[in-house]
Amino acid sequence: MPHNYLKDIRSALEEQRLPLSVFNDPTLFDLEEKQIFKRCWHFLGHESEIANPGDYVLRYIVNDSFIVTRDNGGKVNVLLNACRHRGRQLSRAEAGNAPSFTCPYHGWVYRNDGTLHDIPLQNATYGAGQVAKDALGLVPAPQVALWRGWIFACLDEKAPAFEKYLGDAAWYLDFYTNKTPGGLEVRGAPQRWVINADWKLAADNFVGDGYHTAITHASTVKAGILPVQDGNFLFEGVQVALDHFGVGFARSDPMFNSLAYPPAMMRSLRERLNPKQIALLDNGVSLPTHANLFPNLSFLNAPGAYAPDKPPAPYLTFRTWRPLSAGKTEVWSWFLIERDAPEEFKSASYQAYILSFGSSGTLEQDDAENWTTITSAAKGQFGGALELDYSMGMNHLDAMTDWPGPGPAYPLDFTEFAQRAFWQKWISMLEADSDD
Amino acid sequence: MIDPAAGDLDDALLRRVAAFLYHEAELLDDRRFDDWLLLMSDDVRYRMPLRVTRDDGSGSEFSDTMAHFDEDRHTLEMRIARLRTPMAWAENPPSRTRHFVTNIRVALDDERRIKVRSNVLLYRNRADSADHDLLSAERHDVLCELGGKLQLAERVILIDQSTLATLNLAVFI
Repeated sequence: MPHNYLKDIRSALEEQRLPLSVFNDPTLFDLEEKQIFKRCWHFLGHESEIANPGDYVLRYIVNDSFIVTRDNGGKVNVLLNACRHRGRQLSRAEAGNAPSFTCPYHGWVYRNDGTLHDIPLQNATYGAGQVAKDALGLVPAPQVALWRGWIFACLDEKAPAFEKYLGDAAWYLDFYTNKTPGGLEVRGAPQRWVINADWKLAADNFVGDGYHTAITHASTVKAGILPVQDGNFLFEGVQVALDHFGVGFARSDPMFNSLAYPPAMMRSLRERLNPKQIALLDNGVSLPTHANLFPNLSFLNAPGAYAPDKPPAPYLTFRTWRPLSAGKTEVWSWFLIERDAPEEFKSASYQAYILSFGSSGTLEQDDAENWTTITSAAKGQFGGALELDYSMGMNHLDAMTDWPGPGPAYPLDFTEFAQRAFWQKWISMLEADSDD
Repeated sequence: MIDPAAGDLDDALLRRVAAFLYHEAELLDDRRFDDWLLLMSDDVRYRMPLRVTRDDGSGSEFSDTMAHFDEDRHTLEMRIARLRTPMAWAENPPSRTRHFVTNIRVALDDERRIKVRSNVLLYRNRADSADHDLLSAERHDVLCELGGKLQLAERVILIDQSTLATLNLAVFI
């Protein structure tokens, strides 16, 4: 990487500009892998995906493959998918149930808690008692955390503990998770597909882009899929810009206030919130809609239409933008639902999700179209030097003084405070001293 | 499915079904989506279940609960209504698609409904890119007859990928 590239980016960001090239640069990508993805916490899935002892799913942190198991004792493990002998991947399956994993190369057998159970012909090959099987278990992720049933891992043993990493973001995530006593479950498995777009464009969009909906998603408003009267439904909302988490709220659209959750569920949510969180609901804003937890875990809670004779239903999706290479991302999109909700509600929410988001989602389609063309433009020698304007709201918006939650919060969602915070966090991590 | 040895191969039916599927593919490739909808029965179900890689012998890879598409007539209509607007950016400019339909197999179920299996290869190219996406699938269709014409009552698309190599499913398979 040219020596001054990070400095140039930093200087541009100080004037609320960002070089377009950051969205398609192999040298930056390598740096992101080491400085960001190796050091941050990553969402790998939800406990409901491995409900029974022996269940496992295959998950990734960039290029590292992990088997996420529920062992026979019921504990969740995040195990590097590589045999200790020659590194052969133990599972090619994305999901299953197994008491153990046998390496197809030489037959080493690991229990589903990662401990090494058997080395074929061990005494003859290594000498009796000469191999320390205890030290040759599958390598666990250096840090693992379970939070509200969500499974997180971090590749840096020295990184802050998960609760500290999450910080004040938890205050807002409560609204996604706390609508019923039973909490959330994943329906089926995440959808996966590949887009020729940089992961940061997706994060940038979810962290604080209330501004794009009226144009990008115009067709879905017109077709009645996005049930709003005006495509600018996030305009009069609120944007919260923590340094590692951004979240947007609507205000003016009646459909968005409860996101179409039924009154009983809204009452149930209030029973599970603290007084300040309830004050947010009474502030006249919607439930939190779009959000991103640094670096690449995004959330969306929104209403969607799905049938002519029924009211719109809310849906909730978590997604990770798994970086594959510069300008190339694998999308993982989970659909989550309250596990104790009535079947009719679950079904309606699922149908609304399928039509709006995910691999065939009509809103998602147009988002990816934007991000792929930006990624393409970013590759140019000349175009890559273009400095994008990130100044929205800088000069006329002050943080709210009456916002009940952690802030800063700004009285419009058509602003770029959360995006600026994302880029500050991003550049700071790239600049940080690396010990490897 | 068809068992020629049992003498139940109905050549005329096979030809009729093949003509239906080729016509349907033509309507999709020509982006005549309103005409395509006319081929659907009122209670059509159009599904593309999620595929999750499993070890051999561990049961079906296709999810019972999650899908890429899970449509009824109304949601298909909404998708097409969106495509009719000039602001469906994912398909403006439109994809150039070609549906190659082969290996058509036909049988009648107990209710005399026509059960069809076919293979489909969908070529997709966009704008001035020289690259293309390819989606391969088997389709399990159920056709019914209304007023002497065939209609699609049910389609299950069994995709040959767990991670889709296309940026979205703004196209029908």
